[in-house]
Amino acid sequence: MKDVLRGIRVLDFCWVGAGALVTKLLAEHGAEVIKVESHARPDNLRLSPPYAPGADGLDRSGYFASRNNDKRSFALNMSLPKAQELARELARQCDLVTNNFRPGVMERWGLGYEDVSKTNPSVIYLAMSMQGAYGPHTNYVGFGSTIAALAGLVHLSGQPSREPVGTGTHYPDHIPSPGHALVAVLAAIRRREHTGRGAMIEVSQLEATVNMIAPAIADAARGGEPARNGNRSDLACPSGVFRCRGEDEWCALAVRDEEQWQALDGALDGGRLFDDARFSSPEERRANEGELERAIAELVSDRDRDELAQSLQAVGVPAWPVLSSVDVLEDEQLRERGFWRSLNHPVLGHIDAPAAPFRADGQRTGPVRAAPMLGEHTRELAQELLGLSDAEIDALTAEQVLW
Amino acid sequence: MPELAPLSFANGDGPLADISVLELVGEFGSYAGELLSGLGAQVRRLPHPVTANELEAVRQELGEADVLLRSGGADAPEPPQLDPAALRSLHPRLIQAILTPFGSDGPKAGCPSTDLVRLAAGGLLWLGGYPDGEPVAPYGGQSTLCTAIFAVIAVLLAVLQRDHAGVGATIDVSAQEVLIQALETSLPEYELTGKVRRRAGSAPREAGTGLYPCADGYVSMVAGRLGTARAWRRLREWLVEEGVPGAEELFEQRWETLEFRQRPEAIARFAEVFGAFTAIRGKLELYLEAQQRSIALAPVNTPAEVLVDPQLAAREFFRQLPDGTTGEPRTVPSAPYRFWTERDEVVAH
Repeated sequence: MKDVLRGIRVLDFCWVGAGALVTKLLAEHGAEVIKVESHARPDNLRLSPPYAPGADGLDRSGYFASRNNDKRSFALNMSLPKAQELARELARQCDLVTNNFRPGVMERWGLGYEDVSKTNPSVIYLAMSMQGAYGPHTNYVGFGSTIAALAGLVHLSGQPSREPVGTGTHYPDHIPSPGHALVAVLAAIRRREHTGRGAMIEVSQLEATVNMIAPAIADAARGGEPARNGNRSDLACPSGVFRCRGEDEWCALAVRDEEQWQALDGALDGGRLFDDARFSSPEERRANEGELERAIAELVSDRDRDELAQSLQAVGVPAWPVLSSVDVLEDEQLRERGFWRSLNHPVLGHIDAPAAPFRADGQRTGPVRAAPMLGEHTRELAQELLGLSDAEIDALTAEQVLW
Repeated sequence: MPELAPLSFANGDGPLADISVLELVGEFGSYAGELLSGLGAQVRRLPHPVTANELEAVRQELGEADVLLRSGGADAPEPPQLDPAALRSLHPRLIQAILTPFGSDGPKAGCPSTDLVRLAAGGLLWLGGYPDGEPVAPYGGQSTLCTAIFAVIAVLLAVLQRDHAGVGATIDVSAQEVLIQALETSLPEYELTGKVRRRAGSAPREAGTGLYPCADGYVSMVAGRLGTARAWRRLREWLVEEGVPGAEELFEQRWETLEFRQRPEAIARFAEVFGAFTAIRGKLELYLEAQQRSIALAPVNTPAEVLVDPQLAAREFFRQLPDGTTGEPRTVPSAPYRFWTERDEVVAH
């Protein structure tokens, strides 16, 4: 499926967080994504660490590189009217125009949906602001972490006895917002292929994230009070993360049924657990969950985390070491499945990037070309799409329009 | 948006109106069916796992189906008659999405799992939790929902491919791989600097960014980094305006640099000054006031508070639907996206 979107051209104003991951996946499946930014106003991620050691400038950010592979970079200084005019001409020639700015920014440049659709009636237009394109809070600002808080996810994540902790990341930016936006964009592409009609897609990142806690919302609407529950689960008991030998080494394990409970017995050499009346039935274990967790913690505290997980997996108990970013790069399952792709970036050097998280008929899709240098494709795109001569391009560069 | 007309896919004109979906799902997949149904697909849910008696019925339905959503792996065994390769050769146009914890092959494909275990394998669990305690999972079975979203993305790509080339596809979606999409900067950070990012909790990592207690709970704020330098200034101006003790000090030169604001003493001093201000104010008041100043601050809402959020209410985001099993009314969010079109298109249509 790596070429399934060939022929789809995207004018991409998705900066920073969620939006960049939408156009990344489109680019990995054959779409031509033209990312617009400028030296006057680069995507903020270019200024965000981690940086290549010893490097300087706007092409050294690993953060930027991880979200913008396979795109082409067009440097256009949108603060100038001439640049806005060129962008409008590009929009006329694109199948998809995307942005995750605050509502109003694209409109000021004459690039709102209604402007673009006048000259390009079948355009698909994705606007994915924090809280949607209308409503009293439409201009409110936020980040993934604040959206997770607003949506209820932060309150619900953490230990019941402590303050809420959330996911430790800007989680809504990584899957809830871009994932849902991709679903909508691909559906709109199909609709256009069948009817010739375009559409505007509005994604409120808040609404996309609230969808991730729908059962808690339904519960609260019935008068319930869904609450933080650490690593425990209604579907398994025990369900927890246990410290193993070494520094900050943990193994996650869970038991869903009696068969798995019996298997845990052998693997933990836990005669002490299984002879204990407090743990003799699912109901007893649930009633004494804290004590059960402490008993398991004691049994595994000197085990090697990988060896423990393997011995549990071998007898059918759900278990996995709690993998860090270095561990996932080495994880056998991911390696065997050909998940990592090596990219060569002129400033960052070789970097391993994750593939798309699915295969079709055994075939992998994912990153092929490293993220572009700022403005790397300006000249060729200006010639190809805007019909500008070298002399005109030089002049517009001197005027800091193509900048 | 009064100037545009909403596109509704309820009347058989959705982008997937011609697509029929069979759902053979366990823990995974029901959200995928919901999303496809919202785009107009006809979705039929079959009992799972399939028993010998039901096999014939399933096989008949498969003849009519465009998409089969199925959960696989050790947690969802299916009879050999439903072997994916066999189904595919019988139905070459079938798009079959198999949602599994760790993928359909590889040395660990057969391992059982729960949400917690998948989060551990996908690296997201490692990043969550308190620095002085154990890793803690995000709430609500996020691994199953995220896997369903990517399954739908893959199915839609496969539908487009089938439209063009006439052939189906067997899609293998791994929850572990899905979660790795959510590890933020931790992979490039390790690759470029050798530093392994650890869980940082929700406490501020720099003055101005993190969770702060207030009169009725907590607020979450980002002021100072990722292009929010102006918000950091406005935040201090706000505190001075309100006569908060110590606020003037925040205008000293050293507070201008991120390097200083990341020092423990800066984090602690800011928390003290800001904390005195927030301790006597509610999260909603702080939210509305901060946003008037374009400062990215949000309340840490409970689900009950999300239900009365003014923005979601104005957008009529929550709906009442009969529950799938009990038939009782149930409050549910609207779709996570909205489609709009020019008004004249709808009229012409």
